[in-house]
Amino acid sequence: MKSRENLSEYLAIAASLAIGAVAWEVSGRMASGAFWAPLSATLKNLWDVARDGVLLRQCLSSFQLYVTGLLIAIAVGAPLGLVLARVAWLRTALDPYIMMLYATPMVALVPFILSIMGFGFAPKVLVVFLFAVFPVLYNTVEGARSVKPELVEVARAFRSNEWQLWRDVMIPYTLPFTMTGIRQAIARGLVGMVVAEFFLSPSGLGQMIMMGSQNFDTAGMLSAILMIIVVGVGLMDLGRHLENRFAAWRGESR
Amino acid sequence: MSSAGAVLAGAGRGTSDDVGPWYAAPIVLKFAAGLVLLSLWEAGVRSLAPAYVARPSGIATVFFRVLSDSQFLAAARATLGAVVGGLLLSIVFGTVVGLAMGRIANVERGLRYYINSLFATPMVAILPLLSLWFGYSGDTRLATVVFAAFFSVAVNTCDGARAVPVEYLEVARSFRARGLRTLFDVVLPSSLPYLLAGVRLAAGRSLVAAVVAEFFVSIPGLGYYILFNSRTFKHNEAFVAVVILVAVGVGFDAFVNWVTRRYLPWARRSG
Repeated sequence: MKSRENLSEYLAIAASLAIGAVAWEVSGRMASGAFWAPLSATLKNLWDVARDGVLLRQCLSSFQLYVTGLLIAIAVGAPLGLVLARVAWLRTALDPYIMMLYATPMVALVPFILSIMGFGFAPKVLVVFLFAVFPVLYNTVEGARSVKPELVEVARAFRSNEWQLWRDVMIPYTLPFTMTGIRQAIARGLVGMVVAEFFLSPSGLGQMIMMGSQNFDTAGMLSAILMIIVVGVGLMDLGRHLENRFAAWRGESR
Repeated sequence: MSSAGAVLAGAGRGTSDDVGPWYAAPIVLKFAAGLVLLSLWEAGVRSLAPAYVARPSGIATVFFRVLSDSQFLAAARATLGAVVGGLLLSIVFGTVVGLAMGRIANVERGLRYYINSLFATPMVAILPLLSLWFGYSGDTRLATVVFAAFFSVAVNTCDGARAVPVEYLEVARSFRARGLRTLFDVVLPSSLPYLLAGVRLAAGRSLVAAVVAEFFVSIPGLGYYILFNSRTFKHNEAFVAVVILVAVGVGFDAFVNWVTRRYLPWARRSG
């Protein structure tokens, strides 16, 4: 009974993917080449750029930018959030500003960054950083706010010193929230990466999309977009996995 | 607003028995922190950056002049109109698709990979394609907003429709409610909190989408206003547009929070 359910599920999914592929191919052949390209042409283009090494080079360039920005964002956001977890008056003071920056569409700052810092690697890292840092900070502070005062009191009653309090209460309690922030940062950072590659000095996968659209090489553009979709899905799964791994620590079923 | 309330409650719980001095009151702390941040910004720009870089005093002097500028108002109307229009379209279609996916297994199986992978895609990547299809016009901006907002509404509504407690559906069935009645009276209200969480996410994404689309296709709007003025080194004027965007983002968030608390008391889901 169960296996038949599974079988029909797989069949439905396979059918939907097959229909999608056929629709892409047929619409690509019918539409003008300037607007849309068939799946076969897109995959052939992907194979070509993969074989002559362009794809690998551009992916590495994007990856370098993305990982640098994301890691700096985590390295700044998480410790800062933890400090705010412990220093209640500072948290009270900064809370509305962190929320405001979390809600700010960071992309609006890109023209300022361009005109002040110009082209180069550093401004692009700054863009990824700005996209990614506030989710980490905001969620860590959010977690910090919910540390139960009783926990700190019990730790104090057992004569925990400051370091033990951090190691046994503050960090374990806040980490799952930080992970939620990191999951959001993973997704937002990817947007930041593409924005930086489009609007600052062109590089990586963003440059491949831009070149495809400027040269009316629709298949080339679609193959780069397909690549970004695959990367986006992979990163989202990674983020969910990270979040779920630490979710059990919250001691509640969320 | 809700977070400020939570902080007040939290601070009250921590320090209720020892009422601190007046300068430890949350409102004073918040205000002081704002002053400190602004003066740090002002001092940093004055000592380190070129004169054209935006700083609080410069923004304050041009603020009301920019706000009464008809060109700026037209830009704000265009951007916010596209955001609101795109959001409404996304909410309507996203709810329909999300409910169908949540309640009908084969629809979910058929659309799962498309919806989830496009949800994970940074919409900026698709912008060049949209500009090919819709031309260098406002349509591209609207399409980008819809693309950015639709999938988060659909994904969240689908989660909500699947999380409807079985008991509710059983009660509805034992009262012989028809399919459509069950949908509107049980499934939809029960998944509304999820839907609203999706709308909050969608609102943030659609602001980003509208601004990016304006950068890309150079159509009048707040994003283009920022781009144009920062290129001509009028950073203070450009920053006024950023302030408006932030205000809209924060304001909408607060509005959805308020709606959730006021009209959906059964929503226990905060995020």
